[in-house]
Amino acid sequence: MNEVLKVEDLCVDYITENGGYVRAVDHVSFIIKEGQSLGLAGESGCGKSTIAYSLMGLHRPPALISNGRIFLNGRDILSLPQKELRAVRWSEVSMVFQSAMNCLNPVVTLEKQFFEIYKYHHITKNRAEARERAIKLLNLVGIPAERITDYPHQLSGGMRQRAIIAMALALNPKLLILDEPTTALDTVVQREILKQIFDLKNQLGFSILFITHDISLMMEFCDEVAIMYAGKIVEQADCKTILHRPNHPYTYGLKQSFPSLRGEIHYMEGIPGVPLDLKHIPQGCRFQARCNKITCICKEKEPVRSNTDSGFYFCHNPLKYEEEQK
Amino acid sequence: MKYISKRLGFYLVAFFAAVALNFFLPRLMPGNPVQMYLAEMSQSGGKIDPQVIASVEQMFGYDGSVPLIQSFFHYVVNIFKGDWGVSFAYYPQTVLGAVQRAMGWTIFLMGTSLIIGFIVNNLLGILVAWKRGSRLDTTLTVGGQILANIPSAITALLLSFWLCYSGVFPLGYAVTPLYQPPTVWAFIKDVLYHAAVPLLAIFSTSLGGIMGMRANMINQLGDDYIVMGIAKGLPEHKIMFGYGARNALLPVVTSLAMQIGFMLGGSLIIEQVFNYPGLGKIMVNAINRRDYPLMQGILLMTTIIMLSANFLADISVLILDPRTRTQSMKGKK
Repeated sequence: MNEVLKVEDLCVDYITENGGYVRAVDHVSFIIKEGQSLGLAGESGCGKSTIAYSLMGLHRPPALISNGRIFLNGRDILSLPQKELRAVRWSEVSMVFQSAMNCLNPVVTLEKQFFEIYKYHHITKNRAEARERAIKLLNLVGIPAERITDYPHQLSGGMRQRAIIAMALALNPKLLILDEPTTALDTVVQREILKQIFDLKNQLGFSILFITHDISLMMEFCDEVAIMYAGKIVEQADCKTILHRPNHPYTYGLKQSFPSLRGEIHYMEGIPGVPLDLKHIPQGCRFQARCNKITCICKEKEPVRSNTDSGFYFCHNPLKYEEEQK
Repeated sequence: MKYISKRLGFYLVAFFAAVALNFFLPRLMPGNPVQMYLAEMSQSGGKIDPQVIASVEQMFGYDGSVPLIQSFFHYVVNIFKGDWGVSFAYYPQTVLGAVQRAMGWTIFLMGTSLIIGFIVNNLLGILVAWKRGSRLDTTLTVGGQILANIPSAITALLLSFWLCYSGVFPLGYAVTPLYQPPTVWAFIKDVLYHAAVPLLAIFSTSLGGIMGMRANMINQLGDDYIVMGIAKGLPEHKIMFGYGARNALLPVVTSLAMQIGFMLGGSLIIEQVFNYPGLGKIMVNAINRRDYPLMQGILLMTTIIMLSANFLADISVLILDPRTRTQSMKGKK
């Protein structure tokens, strides 16, 4: 299988007022293969969206990519000149943003917003043809054709999000980034829309990077999951492993923070403490202050990568599952 | 559209309120124009007998025989008939005639500077918002603010001193007196030659608009649809104008109508300094000569211009912003 996206050693810094910097994304590497879906989970502020934005070159000052490379279909997009970067955006990688409510230009009809995409990517300059293509896409996400002349404010939140999804698929991108696409919507619509996206994925064969803090949604839809904490991916594995045998205590805590839909009702353990302040990174493991498995070594040395069958983790004291091994 | 007719109704009410104020305020002030007029006459010609007083009062409609309320209705009816009375200061010209002649020049001067100001201010505002933090940004916003905050009287006097007294531009009037332009082009050239410095003066006081547009634009640029626009791979100019400026312009258009009001106020000073025969100039004359009919006529015309400008702004916002359109459609139901 081809690698659609390959991120190598990516570091993104936010330059601060006093000339220093905060490293929001710290040496992150991952690969997404064709037709695969990777979930990226973590608490707010752990760098998920920063990764998403830098993948499309959308990061703006004070954010700065200080290290690493991003290969999209084999091309290093960080070294592309502006003009080529513009051409890559949306045609090879598109994105569904967090805030569906505000992502459409409020004074332009859907039809024109579709037309813009086709026009500036030199697909067609013919309005009728663009309209036809747009209607097909809207039908795909369940928006009736006549709504194409509507302005964004005439659509409901769910419809706007669906319209954005339709737009995201306009140029048949190889990779679709979903940056918390459903946080603005209620649970029922959430699931419905995600199901739609992943059905389309199977139908059209694109890959997905799914960013969310809702780990249960992720388990349901993704092939593989990467867990981020304080700018680093602390564990990555396939869905089953994360769900049943997480290695990193943080993964376990995150998983325990969401009630399961089926089965017995458990006590929600949650994770004590607050996310790490990236301005004051302690020596050793970043998760030490909130970890219940902490030992001396955690405060001294940063954990190194340990590979597993389906992925890797960074922890000195991974969780053990003896009862299953017996 | 119900929305438009609703606005129209509102402006009609505002118009009548203005007419009423216009009529009653001068009459609540001590002294009346006829006395003023007669005082002037007596200065030059000694005693005046009561018969003359009575006939003058009658001529200008100031005899006390008619109750105030009745003469108000009389006044309103006359406005619509186009009979705005006779001017004292420019006797025997009618008020309407004097106002109409002056209004042409004021509208030309104000309209031109408004359009130039609108285009330049907004383009510069868009530009500096796009390049915010750059040296260009600092220069233009600070410079614009300084120029805009110098009182227009001072700006006008300085410009007049530098450009007019030095003989580069004419000292007054809208056209060269007694000059018969051979062609239309020569006439236009003459008009522009006379209007150049007043235009510059008004323009420089309106430069604060850069700041407003800049702020609007920066607000818009932080919005999510801008990021999505960039993500869509649209070229920079499309993001700048089609996305940012298109939305940032909406509040500016609404405030444009208000600006017309300020400008008409400002014309009082500008036209006085440059001796430009517009509404402001004859207004000052009218005040000096206690020419109530003319003052009322000018204020009435100002009201009409203001209200029409507001109405036009309402309609253009309706065209520019689809969200106001739905509101009006909801009103229909």
